[in-house]
Amino acid sequence: MIETRNVTVRFGGLTAVNDVSIKLLPNKINSLIGPNGAGKTTFFNAISGVIEPDEGEIIFKGEHIEKKKGYQICAAGISRTYQIINLFWQMSVIENVMVGMTTKLKSNFWQSLFSTKFEKNEEKEAYEKAMEYLRFVGLEDYAHARSSSLSYGNQRLLEIVRAMASGAELLLLDEPAAGMNSTEKRELDVLLERILDRGITILLVEHDMKLVMNVSDYIFVMYHGALLAEGVPEEIQANPEVIEAYLGGDE
Amino acid sequence: MNSIKNKNIPKYLIYTVLILALPFLIQMISGTTYLVMILCISLLYMIAVTGLDLLFGYSGQISMGHAAFFTIGAYTTGLLNHYFDMPLWLTIPIGCILPTIIGTILAIPASKLKFHFLSLATIAFGEITYYFLYTSPGGFTFDFKGIGAKPISFLGQNYIKWYFFLLVITIIVFVFKTYLVNSKVGRNFIAIRENTHAADGMGINVRKYKVIAFTVSAFLTGLAGSIYVHFIQYISPESAQQKQSVLFLTMLLFGGTTSIPGTIIGVLFIEFLLELIRPLQEYQMLIYGIMLLVVVVALPGGIYGGFKDLAAKIRGRKKAGTDKTDGKANAG
Amino acid sequence: MFQVLLINGLILGGVYALIALGYSLIYKASGLLNFAQGDFITFGAFMGYFFYDTLKLPFVVAMLLTFLVAFVLGMFLEKFVIRILLSKGVIAIYIVLATIAVSFIIQNAMQMLFGTTTLRFPPVFSKGTWKILGINAQSEAWFCLFVSLLLMVVLHFFVTKTKFGTAMRGAAMDAKAAESCGINTSLTTGVTWGISAAIAGLGGILIGPMYGVFTTIGANLGRKGFGGAVIGGYGNMYGAMIGGMLLGLVETFVAGYWMGTYKNMIAYIVLLLFLFVKPTGITNEKAIKDV
Repeated sequence: MIETRNVTVRFGGLTAVNDVSIKLLPNKINSLIGPNGAGKTTFFNAISGVIEPDEGEIIFKGEHIEKKKGYQICAAGISRTYQIINLFWQMSVIENVMVGMTTKLKSNFWQSLFSTKFEKNEEKEAYEKAMEYLRFVGLEDYAHARSSSLSYGNQRLLEIVRAMASGAELLLLDEPAAGMNSTEKRELDVLLERILDRGITILLVEHDMKLVMNVSDYIFVMYHGALLAEGVPEEIQANPEVIEAYLGGDE
Repeated sequence: MNSIKNKNIPKYLIYTVLILALPFLIQMISGTTYLVMILCISLLYMIAVTGLDLLFGYSGQISMGHAAFFTIGAYTTGLLNHYFDMPLWLTIPIGCILPTIIGTILAIPASKLKFHFLSLATIAFGEITYYFLYTSPGGFTFDFKGIGAKPISFLGQNYIKWYFFLLVITIIVFVFKTYLVNSKVGRNFIAIRENTHAADGMGINVRKYKVIAFTVSAFLTGLAGSIYVHFIQYISPESAQQKQSVLFLTMLLFGGTTSIPGTIIGVLFIEFLLELIRPLQEYQMLIYGIMLLVVVVALPGGIYGGFKDLAAKIRGRKKAGTDKTDGKANAG
Repeated sequence: MFQVLLINGLILGGVYALIALGYSLIYKASGLLNFAQGDFITFGAFMGYFFYDTLKLPFVVAMLLTFLVAFVLGMFLEKFVIRILLSKGVIAIYIVLATIAVSFIIQNAMQMLFGTTTLRFPPVFSKGTWKILGINAQSEAWFCLFVSLLLMVVLHFFVTKTKFGTAMRGAAMDAKAAESCGINTSLTTGVTWGISAAIAGLGGILIGPMYGVFTTIGANLGRKGFGGAVIGGYGNMYGAMIGGMLLGLVETFVAGYWMGTYKNMIAYIVLLLFLFVKPTGITNEKAIKDV
């Protein structure tokens, strides 16, 4: 459903992503791992439209998206979370989710201005749908709390469900387990499987190896911007180059 | 549920009566209609500041040149009135169109700018407008002399009639503003203000929405200006200068952004304060400056924000475990 | 005609350069815009008048005192307004508004102390005009040009060759790293604001003899001076010098050959053009905060 071909991203003299070609397994948990500075987040940014690759193509559901902007890629069906939590802090929890749904809301400016029946209905339905999403992650009791008041773990959950709210078929999760305790990580494991049940494909960047090995169906390893290896968890764990990269490189 | 409604009805009744009786009370107490005129100007400024609120309070774009839109609206209406003797039901709508168009044109490149560069761009825009009006090609704006305009015939100089006329318009503006900010559009504005990056990631076309915010904002401020010129029957280039723009901003911040009561309080307070210090003309700038400093230092949420916090604290003691905003409510 | 324009452009450019320098130095050090910069010029003009005309001190002494007093005012502003606001966690745009407030206060304070009529700054030199390289211009204007150029050179050496200057640059680049090297960043920031105010103040006393002394003399120059900082790349010290000089030249030449009546608009048009087309300026200076 999504593949990248020879994607390269350069920042001045530095090649952050070097000729990376991968093909994700649909409706599975794909993980992207690699030592710090391997280019994982840059690669994410290239897919989600934050930056445009200098070379290469990204094809999602048959369409070339490498030149598209962030909001267009969201509309196309790819959503993401961020390494540093990027919630809309002054908004309530449910409003955050409703923003996530914005690509599905069809009211235009004039309908909003005049609060037409269509717009009022759409907002009501959006609110209910957003509550459903909150129930999916168990945050429904916090619907009207300011998102900044949530616990760290809940904030991460909110970010995930906000990304889902756009109806995304591909979810890019950038270190979703960062800062979570072991209980939260186990719950995340379960959540990710439940997300798969909805037909969504996941691409995960993570540093917690235990989580990665437990959860992933397929793993891609990046090192110094290039794709070092790919395979199922058992293969990756046994791969000598991967082991070398982690022991030799920085963590 | 019913008990809450019953509690509110007398409150709203009082407000309504107060609002309707206000000009008469002021006239009675002060003996002249001068303060009623100030009240009317306040209503117009509320419309202008509402425009600024949409731009800054909601979509987070700073404009330090907004008075230019006010002045352009005033000049367009005034000049149409002057040169073509157009009737007022035409001049005012057309008077709103020009600032709106200019606002859109300005917004398109401006939407790329980060906040401090945006502030410089808006200042430059304001000053260019001022100098253009001051030395217009062929003097068609009558340059430094400013222009006069005819009053609206059925209102003339009757400030009390003007008050109710403006009250209706202001209320209409407030209603539509409320619709807009409670909709997807308003939500997206706030998302852009809170986190432009994430807004983009969530599918919001940030530039488009920034331009929309700017356009609506320019329209409202221009509307205020084009009615103003028929009220005061005069406008001069000075109204486009930075001083006036900063005044609008001060009113907005003093009362508190993203809140209609805040806008009302902010405008009324500052406007009447300025009237109070009118005899102290020479200290005017000093007082402006101190006011602004006070707002920035002591009241980043504006007066209304301050009251809300205070009220919430008081309410918080009555109801335990409120799930409303502000709390640091945590869960496992 | 060309030569007259050239000299006037350079003289004006020198003043713009001092203003722009102030903007860029402060932006680099604090990440803020300082809308009171122009009013430091006004302050300097009035102080200069006070020292030179009222106290009848020799001009050089008046210049020095003006420089020092403005320096102190700048440090004071940083320590007691900016620093406090920053520590309260007030967001940057509000702090910028606070500098606007300060600008109003300075303007009014000068007005209250000195009145509203334009004061005539007594001549500094016995000869009214000087002829240099075949071009005639007001002697004080030439002097203004020389001093501003000299100031830029001195500033360059201060910032690159002295220990404190280097500390300032370090603190501006990375405050935390500088602290861990033992640099007192609050001092360097205060000094940065002090220097910005001082060079503007000096600019004020230099232009006093050229334009007279009145309360809005600096505000307009200050606003236009933003163009100089943006042209040169906002935050870049050398860019500010070049940008300021360029702005002065462009404004003078465009007004001289083409848009005389719109002279005042030119600087703003240039500012807008650069903001829209090349906000990083000729030195490609990246903005500090990626908001």
